[in-house]
Amino acid sequence: MNIDPRTKLIIVLCLSTLAIFIKDILFLSGILLITIMISLFFKVNILQVLREIKRLLYVLLAIAVIQSVFSTDGQVLIGLGKLTILTTVGVQKGLEFIIRIMIIISSATIITTSNSREIIQGLVQWRLPYEVAFMVSIGIRFLPILREEIKDSIVAIQLRGIEIKKTPLKKKLYIYSYLFTPILVSTIIKAQKLSMSVEMRGFRAYERRTSYMVLRMSYVDYLIIFFSFLCATTLAHLYIDQSVLTLSSLKRMSYFVYNSIRLRKFL
Amino acid sequence: MIYPIEINNLHYKYEKDAREILNGANLKVAKGETVAIVGLSGSGKSTLIYNICGIIPHIYRGEAKGQVKIWGKDILDMKLSEISTKVGIVFQDPDTQLFSPTVEDEIAFGPENLCIAREQIGLRIKKVLETVNMEEYRLENPGNLSGGQKQLIAIASVLAMETEILLFDEILSQVDKEGRIKIREVIKGLKEEGKTIILIEHDLNNLQIADRVLQLKDGKLEEFKAGDIIGLHRT
Ligand SMILES: Nc1ncnc2c1ncn2[C@@H]1O[C@H](COP(=O)(O)OP(=O)(O)O)[C@@H](O)[C@H]1O
Ligand SMILES: [Mg+2]
Repeated sequence: MNIDPRTKLIIVLCLSTLAIFIKDILFLSGILLITIMISLFFKVNILQVLREIKRLLYVLLAIAVIQSVFSTDGQVLIGLGKLTILTTVGVQKGLEFIIRIMIIISSATIITTSNSREIIQGLVQWRLPYEVAFMVSIGIRFLPILREEIKDSIVAIQLRGIEIKKTPLKKKLYIYSYLFTPILVSTIIKAQKLSMSVEMRGFRAYERRTSYMVLRMSYVDYLIIFFSFLCATTLAHLYIDQSVLTLSSLKRMSYFVYNSIRLRKFL
Repeated sequence: MIYPIEINNLHYKYEKDAREILNGANLKVAKGETVAIVGLSGSGKSTLIYNICGIIPHIYRGEAKGQVKIWGKDILDMKLSEISTKVGIVFQDPDTQLFSPTVEDEIAFGPENLCIAREQIGLRIKKVLETVNMEEYRLENPGNLSGGQKQLIAIASVLAMETEILLFDEILSQVDKEGRIKIREVIKGLKEEGKTIILIEHDLNNLQIADRVLQLKDGKLEEFKAGDIIGLHRT
């Protein structure tokens, strides 16, 4: 089954909007679960995605500590004398952040199950100017070129007998800064060559251009889009209701406390 | 007489470069002719054909003097997009010419820019894939092909523009032996089709296809004599 890239974009937009706007950890976990299920449906290699996210665990730790140090809420989990290092709120904020990122990244990989030409075409049929869509896709195409360039340079350095892994950090930074210019130069040269061949094939020859590829949404696409919106708005509603609920119960509770204090004074 | 390619007393100097890379080059190529240009590395062969296809002065600035005409029309009076309908160029490095996720999309890119109708593009894709003998790779990702196959797709993508003039800038130099044989066959076929071709070559083995061999030396084009093979190599 071939799902239109626009349908995938809508799914991703729904999921990441929810991820950004919801602040409840349980809700977020639920959305993450949904995201993972949808990714599996689209045959995304979710394990690899999760492996990539593993590198962000440091960020989780950093956020947890920063939130703990600077906010006074929550119970102290780890402390050094008067200094708090980790609190429950800190851990919660860190977890929320990481779940949010996981939702956004794994939903974004859903789009990558369409190829770049299909995505461009989807955006163009949504009236995005072709040039803009094309530039973005060329930019994305350049990432592996840049990575290759960096790898080559590091291999070249190692061939000269320098073991990058064993050099101390300060020297390592020096070596990297030394690589920076040649990598930049050769990447620019490649970009220039690419732009020559793009130009020589009539890029921007006219205001308009035709397209060999034409995307058509099937009823399955419309169905999926409809359900995505339905689920997203339902979830948003549930979340808002629930937070309103907790808010009013909080009010009620504070009123009760206030009254009991007054009562005690009176007694 | 009107020539597909006519160069009169061309001088060229890159920006911020003291040397004149081209120093009074002259060239007339007749319709259907295949001209090979040899010369040492750095002698300005690429610079010369950038002048023919309008990359100079439309993309690279610099100081140009003299005249380059395509079918009698000065390239200064043509936009790059107009030139691209008359002159096709294939470059040395196969990797920096391909940017689409499938071979089909890659070939369609040029005709799409020229507003060719969809069915026509379909026909062109079929035709050029037959020409380069790569029909079964239509839906492959060009990034997964070998160097020679990539170069064949780069050629096909340029052929889909259906230009009368073709420029090949050392297109065999980064290709393995098997790929070279195939590409040489393709060039031969194009010559028989009546295309006007300029072939920049580093390798003397590839000159047999040419009707005429010129040498770029000291910024000028001259007849190539078999004695002047210093710096050129056989493989
Ligand atoms: N963009 C550029 N800016 C400045 N100098 C250049 C540029 N491109 C090439 N050159 C110089 O022009 C000379 C001729 O280059 P080129 O035409 O690529 O030679 P060839 O193709 O014969 O090897 C070389 O010395 C090269 O260093
Ligand atoms: Mg060259």
